[in-house]
Amino acid sequence: MSLEKIFEQYPNRRYIMFGGKGGLGKTTFSAATSYYLAKKGHKVLVFSVDPQASLTDIFQRDIFGKGPTEIMPNLYAQEIDADRRVKAYQDEIRQKIRDMYGMEEIPEEIESYIQAAAAEPAMEESAIFDEVVDIVVKAEYDYYIYDLVPLGHALYYLSMASVYDAWIGKITGLREQMREYDQVAAVMRRQKELDEDAILNELLYIKDRINKSSSILTDKEKTAFFFVLTAEEMIIKDTQKAAQLFAKFDVPLSGYIINRVLPAELKDKNIPDYLKHRFEMQDHYLEVIDKQFAGEILASVPEMERDVTGLPMIEKLAKTMFGDF
Amino acid sequence: MAEDERKRTGFFQAVKEFVYGVAAHDSARFALKTRASMEHLFILITMGDMLGVPILPPYYSLRLLPYVVPQISTWKRRMLREKDLTDALA
Repeated sequence: MSLEKIFEQYPNRRYIMFGGKGGLGKTTFSAATSYYLAKKGHKVLVFSVDPQASLTDIFQRDIFGKGPTEIMPNLYAQEIDADRRVKAYQDEIRQKIRDMYGMEEIPEEIESYIQAAAAEPAMEESAIFDEVVDIVVKAEYDYYIYDLVPLGHALYYLSMASVYDAWIGKITGLREQMREYDQVAAVMRRQKELDEDAILNELLYIKDRINKSSSILTDKEKTAFFFVLTAEEMIIKDTQKAAQLFAKFDVPLSGYIINRVLPAELKDKNIPDYLKHRFEMQDHYLEVIDKQFAGEILASVPEMERDVTGLPMIEKLAKTMFGDF
Repeated sequence: MAEDERKRTGFFQAVKEFVYGVAAHDSARFALKTRASMEHLFILITMGDMLGVPILPPYYSLRLLPYVVPQISTWKRRMLREKDLTDALA
């Protein structure tokens, strides 16, 4: 099975993700895949959920915090500015408090809480998570390519969805129970109407958003998740471990792509011992990969002669991944 | 006639309130009291880190903050107050 076939065979898989250890080429593959799909005539958005995003570098365009930016016809790229989103969100909360209670100034203890909350490390991740839901819910593109964070973070990102979901489920339960007491009191005092519980509505809204996002990540029909690895021992082992963990979270794994393979034609040339050893190591681990991930390797991408930045290099890489198009 | 009508509804109203007072007022008061302590529990699990008890990732707890602003100071007082035997009688 080749990468191209996967896209032809499963046209409904519209959320494309690349996972793997840091520095193996997730961003490069995200960019190349979005290039390929855009050239095929689909409207594509490639976006980064990494606070240290590098789409700006690979497309050689400053897109950080600028919303979806057109790179070429049909291809849009976006890097989320988490800081700015958090600040805007804080202001929104302050304004809501002022409006609700007609206050001029936010009470000091409330204000200090708003500031302290934004300093939490989880805040940035949550803000990005929330923006991703915004992006996906709008459904303006044919394909969404997630440029994911390195493995550990990606797992955190996935587990966050299920933890949030369970937590919100519990407090929504408590809130509903409180509502029952309200109703009992209202019936006894013969009040006809009960005010709407704004907090309960808010909780249901949050729950809905989290469900939307995590259901996309784990939707076997619509999502394709690819692992990137290289022919090295540590990376093979880590990838196996990560694949098991991802499977636990019901992430539908579509296959593996080997990156940075030294081109075999070099072997016939007069090469120094150093490179010969690299080839021996590579051949050994390619065999290991073949055994461990039998039938699930979708593409083997050669080490390029220079780093992949700019559209001409992205195009070249896309052709090695998907064949000529 | 209208005078009679008014007397009658006034009488029924009084009976209604009397019955409510005898039969239901206490239960209603109890329901509201339970409701109030649940409200405090709710604020604790959503805004816990105001007291140094972090429970929820703060992004979504901020969304709920505007609704509990009026209760925050009574909640803090209740949570941080020293407890003694007479509390059980209250």
